[in-house]
Amino acid sequence: MSSSSSPMQSTGRKLKLKSKDDETFEVEEAVAVKSQIFKYMVEDGVSNGPIPLPNVNGKTLARVLQWCQKHADPTITEDELNKYDAGFIDVDQAVLYDLLMAANYLNIEELLKLACMRVADMIKGKSPDEIRRTFNIKNDFTPEEEEEVRKENAWALGP
Amino acid sequence: MRKDRTEMSEDDDRSPPLDLRGADIAESSNKTRNCSGVSGSGAPVPGPGPSSMEFQAPYPDQVLENVLENVLQFLSSRRDRNAASLVCRSWWRVEALTRSDLFIGNCYSVSPRRATARFTRVRSVSIKGRPRFADFNLMPPDWGAHFAPWVTAMASAYPWLEKVYLKRMSVTHDDLALLAESFPSFKELVLVCCDGFGTSGLAVIASKCRQLKVLDLIESEVTDDEVDWIACFPESGATCLESLIFDCVECPINFDALERLVARSPSLKKLRLNRFVSIGQLYRLMVRSPQLTHLGTGSFSASEGMAQGEQEPDFFTAFAACRSLVCLSGFREILPDYLPAMHPVCANLTSLNFSYAYINADQLKLVIFHCHKLQIFWVLDSICDEGLQAVASTCKDLRELRVFPFDAREDNEGPVSDVGLQAISEGCRKLQSILYFCQHMTNAAVIAMSRNCPDLEVFRLCIMGRHRPDRVTGEPMDEGFGAIVMNCKKLTRLAVSGLLTDRAFSYIGKYGKLVRTLSVAFAGDSDMGLKYVLEGCPRLQKLEIRDSPFGDAALRSGLHHYYNMRFLWMSSCRLSPQGCQEIARALPRLVVEVIRDDAIEHTDETVDILYMYRSLEGPRDDAPGFVTILQ
Repeated sequence: MSSSSSPMQSTGRKLKLKSKDDETFEVEEAVAVKSQIFKYMVEDGVSNGPIPLPNVNGKTLARVLQWCQKHADPTITEDELNKYDAGFIDVDQAVLYDLLMAANYLNIEELLKLACMRVADMIKGKSPDEIRRTFNIKNDFTPEEEEEVRKENAWALGP
Repeated sequence: MRKDRTEMSEDDDRSPPLDLRGADIAESSNKTRNCSGVSGSGAPVPGPGPSSMEFQAPYPDQVLENVLENVLQFLSSRRDRNAASLVCRSWWRVEALTRSDLFIGNCYSVSPRRATARFTRVRSVSIKGRPRFADFNLMPPDWGAHFAPWVTAMASAYPWLEKVYLKRMSVTHDDLALLAESFPSFKELVLVCCDGFGTSGLAVIASKCRQLKVLDLIESEVTDDEVDWIACFPESGATCLESLIFDCVECPINFDALERLVARSPSLKKLRLNRFVSIGQLYRLMVRSPQLTHLGTGSFSASEGMAQGEQEPDFFTAFAACRSLVCLSGFREILPDYLPAMHPVCANLTSLNFSYAYINADQLKLVIFHCHKLQIFWVLDSICDEGLQAVASTCKDLRELRVFPFDAREDNEGPVSDVGLQAISEGCRKLQSILYFCQHMTNAAVIAMSRNCPDLEVFRLCIMGRHRPDRVTGEPMDEGFGAIVMNCKKLTRLAVSGLLTDRAFSYIGKYGKLVRTLSVAFAGDSDMGLKYVLEGCPRLQKLEIRDSPFGDAALRSGLHHYYNMRFLWMSSCRLSPQGCQEIARALPRLVVEVIRDDAIEHTDETVDILYMYRSLEGPRDDAPGFVTILQ
């Protein structure tokens, strides 16, 4: 396949992707290149077979591609995009994690940022313990370490 | 193609910027679906083979670790960052890496070395030094709060530093020189209530900080080194300046240089001139910068420099051209005749500072009746109760009011009183913050405000006569302040005055559950007063007390709470050195400073000034001779 110096417009060429649970997807190049991974592939010349993505399941991949589609649409306004993103990322934690992983793995900068901001929103206003419970994180401080950080935060860095 | 992808994952240039540990691309061609991700390690085994292989999906918290830097950079509030840093070790590490704004509430609570060791990528630093009562000459000069050790540490630790905000710190010329030299990206310098430097220090900043956007000097003492600092800004090309505030600088400036500077500062939005800029000069500047949002007018008075027969500047047009003006201040030597020229901007003003303008009620009305959007209003009591009534009738959106005394002597009749306060409470229902100086007050007016203004967060009433009772009833002011703490559910800051018994403090202790800052002067009967407060106010952070009859027993009652406080200041009270010593011994991480002030009439049995604060570092090594640190 020629790796012609095509600008990233719609050439009608499509990429075939296969999720880890064997769902296949066809997606236009212009949409797929939201992912830096695919962008490099397209630049280098893509093979004929479907690209296996063993780290992303079909459901998540479908969601991600839908997002890419929306963001590749030249007719959509910024306002509409923001509204869309707000709704898109308003999902439960398991889905959010899947999106986070997929965006990270596929290197989709904007989606990763969107997902990270959402995670940050889930941290805001919480106590350390609440944060740990939300994300199932183990506290590996020793009691002395924890106390020292607590003091430093309160005494030096508090409001 | 498989080869391509493998190469891609190993090739640094091509690999995605984030750590893909746990999410590495793995080979598979068939239905390889062994996702047994239940072990915590999550390190996949890349297998170059078409056969089925194991893939372990990373644990949720590992997903987070990979992207934690990306996530935490969206946390901006100190509270959230502090909470995140306590989650676990890796979060502590990543939070420290991503904190770009460092705020130090008390410069002696932590050392520069320790702060810069933990936070390595800081872009903006805010540091607070002296206690507030130092502003009122209640503390001898040269007590400390030196910027020097901080700027020295930051010079090597934070080469990309962009912003410094200091409040009540001592800053020397050398400090400013080091700052100007060490930070090529430096953009913002804000000095509030600072001292120790002069115009030569400003000159160094102006000339060396090529990316300077903000130079704000607010209520700082700047010595006149007879250096033309305005002329030190680079002469050619446009500047990046967005804010230039120097209204507190008590020395003449080179106006021609200033005019040229303003002309080549297209981004300038905030300009606050000092009193050495005449009204004629102001006009010339306004004409050059109609894009201003914040303007400090300088003297707003004619200087001798204005030539005879010179045409009256058309201020009305000049103001009209400033369509973006929302904040007006200055008027340091006001010529009231010029007030009507302000009309074009009044309707848009959200902030007006007349606290240097000696104007009466009628003169105020010329302006205030047009200021419907006003939210912040600072004014001199020369406007009298009548002026306040005019404010109350017009400024329905008022959030913050400060009424300053023109003549602070105690024997003054007092142009503002309970009448003005009552009017404000009835007209300005959205009031959140008030500072009110007066000679006489009534409980009724204070109670009215407590009922009419439920959004009050800051209530500072300064009845200037010592121990003054209710003007009408002759009773103490206990009930008024009691109503404030009872009814104003959002109250976080309180300053009390007038004749107050221990009862007032019992109210504060009982109802002031959110109070963080409390200021007390000439109040209370006995130790019980302070006890009520220390035992009743769990959120108390800053307590400053002067000339009140509180002694060692009262001090002792706060032992359980002093580690939760930023500081305690007590001057001219009834503390003994032994009483203070007891605290120092009981709380080893509290720095207990006993400060001798020769201006205070004292005996050997009482302590002039007690200033104590928690610290991670132990006693400071820069204490002057008049400070004794008890241990």
